[in-house]
Amino acid sequence: MKRLAAVVALLGLAAGVTACSGGSGTTNKSGSGGGGGLFTTIDVNRPGIDASAPPNPYNPKGNAFPGYTTMKIGWVVNHLTDPNKALPGMAASWEIAPDNSSITLKLQPNAKWSDGKPVTAEDVKLSIALAYTQGSTAFAVTPGAAGAAADVTVVDEKTIKITQDLANPSPKFARGVLDTTVLPAHIWSAAVPATIWDTIKTARGDGPEAEKAREDITKLGQQVIAFAPQKDVAGGPFVLERANPGEALLVKNKNFFNAANVAPDQVKFLNYTGNEQIWNYLTQGKLDHSGFVAAPTDVMNRIKAAPGSEVIKGYSPVAVSMAFNQSKKPYDNVHVRRGLAYLIDRDQVTKVASPEGGTAATTTSGIHQKAADAWIPETLPKLEPYKTDLAKAEEEFKTAGLTKKDGKWTLADGSPWKVSMHAPAGFSDWLSAQENIKSQLTKAGIEAEVVTTADYPVYLEELAAGKYDVGFWLIALGPAPYDIFQRLYGASNGWANVGGKIKHSAAGKSGNWMGSPEQIEVEGGKINPGELTAKLNSVGPDEAKPIMSQLAQAANQDLPVIQLWDYVNNQFVNNSRFTGWPHDDEVLRLGTGVLPSGVWIQQGLVKKKQ
Amino acid sequence: MTVIARRLAGHLARGIVMILVVATISFFIVNNIPGDPVAARYEKLLEGGMSPEAALQATKVMYGFLPSGSMWDQYLAYMGGLFRFDLGISITRPGQPVTDVLAEAAKWTVLPVLIGTLLSFLVGVIFGVYAAIKRTSKLGDTLAISGSLLHGIPQYILAMLLVVIFSTLIPLLPPDSPVDILFEPGWNSGYLGSLAQHAVLPVATYALSAYGGWILAMKSSVVTVLGDDFILAAELRGMKRSIVFRYIARNAILPLFTILALSLGLLLGGAVFIEKIFNYPGLGLLLIDSINLRDYPLMGGAFLLITASVIVANIVADLFYTVIDPRVRGGEEAS
Amino acid sequence: MSVILESTSTSATMRRNFWQGVWRVMKRKPSRMVGVVIILGFAFMGIFGPMFYPDILPDNANAITQPPSWEHWFGTDPQGRDVVALVVKGSRYVLLSAAVTAVITVVVGTGLGLFSGFKRGRWDTVLMRVTDMKLTIPGLPLLLVLATVWKFGNPFQMGLVLGLLGWGGVARAVRAQTLSLRERGFIEAARGLGLSTTHIVGKELLPSMAPYIAMNMLIAVTGAVYAQVGLFFLGVLPYESDNWGVMLNLAVFQAGAMIQPYALGYLLAPLLAILLLTLGIVLVVDAMDEIFNPRLREE
Repeated sequence: MKRLAAVVALLGLAAGVTACSGGSGTTNKSGSGGGGGLFTTIDVNRPGIDASAPPNPYNPKGNAFPGYTTMKIGWVVNHLTDPNKALPGMAASWEIAPDNSSITLKLQPNAKWSDGKPVTAEDVKLSIALAYTQGSTAFAVTPGAAGAAADVTVVDEKTIKITQDLANPSPKFARGVLDTTVLPAHIWSAAVPATIWDTIKTARGDGPEAEKAREDITKLGQQVIAFAPQKDVAGGPFVLERANPGEALLVKNKNFFNAANVAPDQVKFLNYTGNEQIWNYLTQGKLDHSGFVAAPTDVMNRIKAAPGSEVIKGYSPVAVSMAFNQSKKPYDNVHVRRGLAYLIDRDQVTKVASPEGGTAATTTSGIHQKAADAWIPETLPKLEPYKTDLAKAEEEFKTAGLTKKDGKWTLADGSPWKVSMHAPAGFSDWLSAQENIKSQLTKAGIEAEVVTTADYPVYLEELAAGKYDVGFWLIALGPAPYDIFQRLYGASNGWANVGGKIKHSAAGKSGNWMGSPEQIEVEGGKINPGELTAKLNSVGPDEAKPIMSQLAQAANQDLPVIQLWDYVNNQFVNNSRFTGWPHDDEVLRLGTGVLPSGVWIQQGLVKKKQ
Repeated sequence: MTVIARRLAGHLARGIVMILVVATISFFIVNNIPGDPVAARYEKLLEGGMSPEAALQATKVMYGFLPSGSMWDQYLAYMGGLFRFDLGISITRPGQPVTDVLAEAAKWTVLPVLIGTLLSFLVGVIFGVYAAIKRTSKLGDTLAISGSLLHGIPQYILAMLLVVIFSTLIPLLPPDSPVDILFEPGWNSGYLGSLAQHAVLPVATYALSAYGGWILAMKSSVVTVLGDDFILAAELRGMKRSIVFRYIARNAILPLFTILALSLGLLLGGAVFIEKIFNYPGLGLLLIDSINLRDYPLMGGAFLLITASVIVANIVADLFYTVIDPRVRGGEEAS
Repeated sequence: MSVILESTSTSATMRRNFWQGVWRVMKRKPSRMVGVVIILGFAFMGIFGPMFYPDILPDNANAITQPPSWEHWFGTDPQGRDVVALVVKGSRYVLLSAAVTAVITVVVGTGLGLFSGFKRGRWDTVLMRVTDMKLTIPGLPLLLVLATVWKFGNPFQMGLVLGLLGWGGVARAVRAQTLSLRERGFIEAARGLGLSTTHIVGKELLPSMAPYIAMNMLIAVTGAVYAQVGLFFLGVLPYESDNWGVMLNLAVFQAGAMIQPYALGYLLAPLLAILLLTLGIVLVVDAMDEIFNPRLREE
């Protein structure tokens, strides 16, 4: 047995040696070509690369890397209050009409595809047609969609103008336009019929014809997702060379308009299936950049100790909350929810569950603390902070009619109370948090349990079906005010947008699992939080502020959820091979699925270390 | 000849019926699994920064990839497709036929497991003979006990220990991807070396965990043969030790070939733990992923492929048994 | 009357001889005694261990994932709980479900095997076809798929499913044994003496097969332990805070035990528990093997 192990180890050693010598040979060869070297990273949005997936950005497994191989019109950034701020992408500049009614794009004058053909306004127009089939904020055929485009006009070869449908305008119209992927028309025109614009026009109307056209477009969407170009024709600084199950190799696109300032020659995406693997790469200093990955303190310390390693902390518009199903007793009573808010020590929860990736919420407002400071600074002092206070918690429970018998809290009718918290099994930070809350509750005389669901799809299905008493729920998503409050007062709480009109359905019906009251009293007046939230979708920042203030107060008093911690955006970079990493909050996290390091590289920020 | 042909025909018929039964069972289990793959994608898009309306639109397109129609219609379509080797289209990898995805993954499972199994068979058989003959000595005893112990340790524990030793403590062998992407695929030393380097740990785990079983099986087989009369007769006739040894080995190894055929059939499904720990992109990892993401067609397809390989291996093992065992060949039904 | 007396006395002596044989086998290698002690130790831990700890283990937010120390022999988990306490508390689920599996495997397997081998004919064919089919479907992938539909909330459910999946091997082996005893004219001879079927099965067949069945039972126990710990480790089952498989899962995928030494204790404690249990069972099976298979006995 020992002999066998030794043989195996020797074999491994031999293989290691050959592989290493081979490796350095290959890198040297390519290195002498451009001198920029190899950039190693991972796509944190997508574990496990699928070798046979097409280079198609709309395919969930597609081998397209936004920021590296695929370009968007602009790279929308994470400004705290302005949703329309962006870095130039395929468009070098743009003009937004003062009333938000249109946006005129000027394309990069030297932009070319990786096969040498120039990028034109027609490419952008086809890309917009493709976006319609997938649904996007600006390019949607859904009746009553806010911030949808009305017209797309090619002005000249490098200029294109998009106007907003002012029947239902949105302040983030420009963001929707800019966050659109640009694809080469000479390849992608094969994915949709030439008549697509007629279909889109019909679909935006009314009546049965429009209905049919919308169905056609959804079908086209399937076709677009499954579209598999033979070869990657990229607009970005890199082009896909090859992929295997796990890794992908990109090489520099010589035709990229800013190729002179793109430092690396090659980009390698490493394989991973779980966070622990990313930790392993980071502790060994293998990655030049990695997006946010949750890590326990000890692992984080090891990562920081790796040579050249640096952790850039920034803003991440996400918070996690403990959400209640108010159809279940005793969570229908606001005093019970308030009691729990006083009882749970959020600092301790955060310390155990997400010490590096989160900051304990200062209060429940429905907004990330940083965004709240920017949007509603004068409202914040008015909010109840729910500092940990056992006496206040007991008082609230008593007000709710609960009684304490032999050190255990029971419901008003004397039946036992058990707080049953649910989380999907793979979400280790949520589980840690719930285990800690369970222990805190038990110490205070409240029975509690943690129940897991095998995975996220099942969790979401059962949560929406109202099967859980208490579950964890992500809130405060996104920079736009509507997106933020939609998590609290949107479809999951009964307010659905049907054809541009807000309809409220009763608790337990049509996906309303939260079941908050339809009216909440704020500062002496009754408000309808769902309707106010919907209004946020169409008003400018100045009008949004008072509404957000009201909603934050409503959330704070009525507590449909208890905000536990606000996530922190940790970007991991390594200074051993490349430098010049941005430390600016706005560009640490970009639009949907965008890989920020790709954008940093194409903007020329990242430099080869001398 | 006719006996074997008849047996083969019977086995094939039974094998096909079994596959159909398994396909039916897996179809109904898989279609009754709770969970909404589209809702999960929707939440993911929101977390990625997409606005709710856009995410709703984007996921609506995905619904088109979900099977529709009544359960019965779906079942008929599924079984019909089965005869054309069509297992449907993956949900999470839209546009990709399940059979393609399975073929790609199977490639990465078969080779390491095959090498590992054969390696362990070779070593295990040799040590097993030794352990049986020298079973009174300390060394023989140690071999047998080490065999039992290795046979007893679950694969995942062995795999974790190997990762801790060879990837964490001594970072020699990477516990990730099947091959470094920097090498041009083909018959060049760099690519093959990288392939081998990444395969060492999984192969070693298969080999180590299976080797104990082979020692034990070979030992007990040899012990049985040792007791047989013809060995005694040979010894009485004063045959050379080496010839007796050959007698023993040949007769003792035959039943092991049947087990080998069976274990090769199990190889497609036995890789779940090892592939998970070493992040090896084979069928086992695919099965877990498809379950976690609720990709029904892929899940059903992977399960069916794994089961079908066992069925085929059983047929092969039985035919093999027929060929080598004269009693069975003679037409008597083996018990 | 006298016949019954006689037969009881002979079976009593047989039993005494048997136990003497067991004792002899045990004594020959002290390691086998160690095996027995280990198994008894685990049984004690599973039955009484959890009683030494409170229902909810004390946690400490200021001492999460600590390395081994005098106070915590294997350190603490990511909630600041003592790892040893978690292993002890977790042993009940693991061992109880393993016991349930073993009982079901043995009862169903032996029953069907005996019935099949004893009756032969059409019943035999049907039962063995079913057994073949069960043996064909690979267990782990099936469990993975089943885990999505079933909830394995308590050890009985888990044991039941594992048992129902696992009896095939025992049934085949017992049938083969029965057939071979039958071939030796054992059963016909007993029939000739006018003994009833119950007597033949209960007094003649079963005792001679008992060590063999017990051996299979122990193997079923290890199989059950591995399977369930493995399922929890893969994270396909709902999690329980104190379960060996969940500990392994959290140690690797949450605490990063493969990367940083602080969490190594959290990983090693359940690993060692499983290894120790395996060792105990291997040693005892080794002894049983010799009791059952006299050819292995050294003269």
